[in-house]
Amino acid sequence: MNRKPYQQPQAATWWFKNHFYRFYMLREASSVPVFLYAVWLLLGLFRLNQGALEFNAWLALNTSGVGQILHLVVIAAALLHAYTWFQLTPKILVLRFGNFRVPDEWVMGGHYVTWVLVTIGMLWLAITG
Amino acid sequence: MSTVHVPSTIKITVQRYRPELDDKPWQQAFEVPYHFDLSVLESLNYIKDNLDSSLSFRWSCRMAICGSCGFMINGVPKLGCKTFLRDYLEQGHITIAALDNFPIEKDLVADISGFVEKLETVKPYLIRKQEKPLSEGEYLQTPAEVARYKQFSQCINCGLCYAACPQFGRNPEFLGPAALALAYRYNKDSRDQGSSERMPFLNSEQGVWSCTFVGYCSEVCPKHVDPAAAINQGKLDSTLDYGLNLIGMAGGK
Amino acid sequence: MNTFKRSNEPIAWSLFGAGGMVVAFIIPVLAIITGFLFVPDSSLRVYELIDSWLSHWIGKVGLFLIISLTLYHTVHRVYHGLHDLHVKGNDVLMLVLFYGTATVLSVVCAAWLLVI
Repeated sequence: MNRKPYQQPQAATWWFKNHFYRFYMLREASSVPVFLYAVWLLLGLFRLNQGALEFNAWLALNTSGVGQILHLVVIAAALLHAYTWFQLTPKILVLRFGNFRVPDEWVMGGHYVTWVLVTIGMLWLAITG
Repeated sequence: MSTVHVPSTIKITVQRYRPELDDKPWQQAFEVPYHFDLSVLESLNYIKDNLDSSLSFRWSCRMAICGSCGFMINGVPKLGCKTFLRDYLEQGHITIAALDNFPIEKDLVADISGFVEKLETVKPYLIRKQEKPLSEGEYLQTPAEVARYKQFSQCINCGLCYAACPQFGRNPEFLGPAALALAYRYNKDSRDQGSSERMPFLNSEQGVWSCTFVGYCSEVCPKHVDPAAAINQGKLDSTLDYGLNLIGMAGGK
Repeated sequence: MNTFKRSNEPIAWSLFGAGGMVVAFIIPVLAIITGFLFVPDSSLRVYELIDSWLSHWIGKVGLFLIISLTLYHTVHRVYHGLHDLHVKGNDVLMLVLFYGTATVLSVVCAAWLLVI
């Protein structure tokens, strides 16, 4: 039998094809600003070790106009990550107690409640010191 | 009732590939009579019966259970029998192609032999260390034990999830959504004792670890199997197995 | 027939998963704090606050986990993302480049925390 199947090659731009793939790529790309933010925090730690004035200079960069715009990018990326992460966790984290399977909505809801508590707790710590 | 303009015909563009004549696929347009209850599969049959008898495509049951008539319909993997022309009235045209990522045998026929081989690879059957004699009766299960795998056992092997999976497109060696969901289905069956024989497949690069949780497989699945969930729960199992192996408890595999 | 070899991905994936939790729960509020709440002034209030937090071992461990797990999480995504984008590179080299960067920076982070 003479066969000649046509191999469909995947283009490097495959992810541009539909909304679902594009959103996936955005989710993955959100890790880039977050990576840079972690490196920036590391730099802040270095400046802290250098002394109070050096650390204040780092703080001043953070809260400058450009610094705040970049922070907004990081916040948006991390929020996008959090949203997608909490969408996916119920699919991986399957909790069973005897015959009872904890509904996906509860797992997701638990994450959101924890998120709110952590956020309020850390803001409170930062403000009251 | 809203008043939508109902046409008498609709334009359908079909991907053609004739291995004996063509080097690559091309598009052919047909004008097909429109009716609100006409499925894409029926319109393909109309083309074959009335317009061009050389058109090839796979189909059988016409009721979304045989899994034969998977096509890319306007770029989305769908079953032809479960997709209706009426849902494309606004777009005004329909493009039908063979499933993405698979080799194309002819026209709309995807070569799924590699896919079937993968299904076989993961040992999709009950494995017992020792079979119980027939006289002792069947292996009983509680409804809760059935619930642990039932969803993952609804697969009809249509291959839509492979057409949806960019990681399979990237690396054809990847066992892929359906095969991994099937392996997971048997691993979670209380009657089965063969998970140690399936873990080596799951644990490998071609197994669960090629998945990056794009999640489109679960989106297109016509049977709501949710293979992405099965694979990613499989990652937890594989991670546990990896840890057990480090302390020498994974059965030497 | 294919051979199926055990992947070491569970190590990377575990770190990625733990880091994913950190990025989801902590990074948004932390970025709000560093970008908008910790405005420096001549009283050195912020400096003294952070210095006191990081003098305690809980603060050290906490910041170490935040930075290092975030690094492992993000390099994992970029590593796989480049594969998705068909960026080709030597397998071993790419692994060393990405996970190595996260490891080196984590060690540096631990060292700087210890000297505080």
